[in-house]
Amino acid sequence: MLSSQQKQLLNNKLQTLLENSEEITAALVTTVDGHLCAMHQRKDYPLDRLATMGSSLMSLGDTITAELKMGSCRNIISENESGIVTFMHINNSLVLITITLQKNALGLLLAHSRKAAEEMAKSL
Amino acid sequence: MKEIKLVFTGSMGAGKTTAISALSEIPVINTDVNATDEVIARKATTTVALDYGEMTLPDGQKLRLYGTPGQERFAYMWKILMQGALGLIILVDNAGENPLGDLEIYLNHFREDIEKTTAVIGVTRMDLSKKPNLAAYNDFLRKKNLQLPVFSVDVRRKQNVVLMVQTLVAMLEY
Repeated sequence: MLSSQQKQLLNNKLQTLLENSEEITAALVTTVDGHLCAMHQRKDYPLDRLATMGSSLMSLGDTITAELKMGSCRNIISENESGIVTFMHINNSLVLITITLQKNALGLLLAHSRKAAEEMAKSL
Repeated sequence: MKEIKLVFTGSMGAGKTTAISALSEIPVINTDVNATDEVIARKATTTVALDYGEMTLPDGQKLRLYGTPGQERFAYMWKILMQGALGLIILVDNAGENPLGDLEIYLNHFREDIEKTTAVIGVTRMDLSKKPNLAAYNDFLRKKNLQLPVFSVDVRRKQNVVLMVQTLVAMLEY
């Protein structure tokens, strides 16, 4: 369970992530069992539901990776007609989900998200 | 060879993952993660996407066994997993706070699927809590205009789970 101080810290990190990258439309942190911990967004997405779905997807990614003995799952990428969503572990308990509406911003999204996830892991 | 997809659903901690593990001939695929909420008081991990196992009946029919997450916030997975399913096994933890209330949640969510296919109810942990008894479950179902078999099961015992599955398969055939 995260303290309110830790949740605030995550919120601040997400805010910084969106300030530093105009391409990122929304970012959130969820527990591995699907509870929304922190979020920041420029639109009005139903992020509670996305948090729960993200935990399912991340877990499936981990299960597939273990099945294929490919080490640990680094990211899951959902490339769509109108944007991209990425899912990645922050640590064993938390998952970072980021969204961009720009179809060509995958590299940027992954790079910024990875950096943010690493910073969050360090500061928790 | 004919294959049948069955789905195990039901309340958190009722034993869906254990039941599939008891039956499966292949290593069960599961998506359990560490629980971070009130679940932790009952068990360390919880299913967030699905369980999957396989079993072959004596007549050669292959059963594909899927388990859903228990908590309602994962209800989107329930719909996904029911696609193409021919039968539903609802497990209810009788030692939970409100077993009949739990059953009602799943009956309501899966009502359309139950009417299209069929279902059986497995009541677990009756050794820890005798009430409600099986008659109370039957009364409850009757009031909901449903006639479904209700079993008391210990999901750790393969034969208990097999009996439930065989009943469900027989209902599908007749």
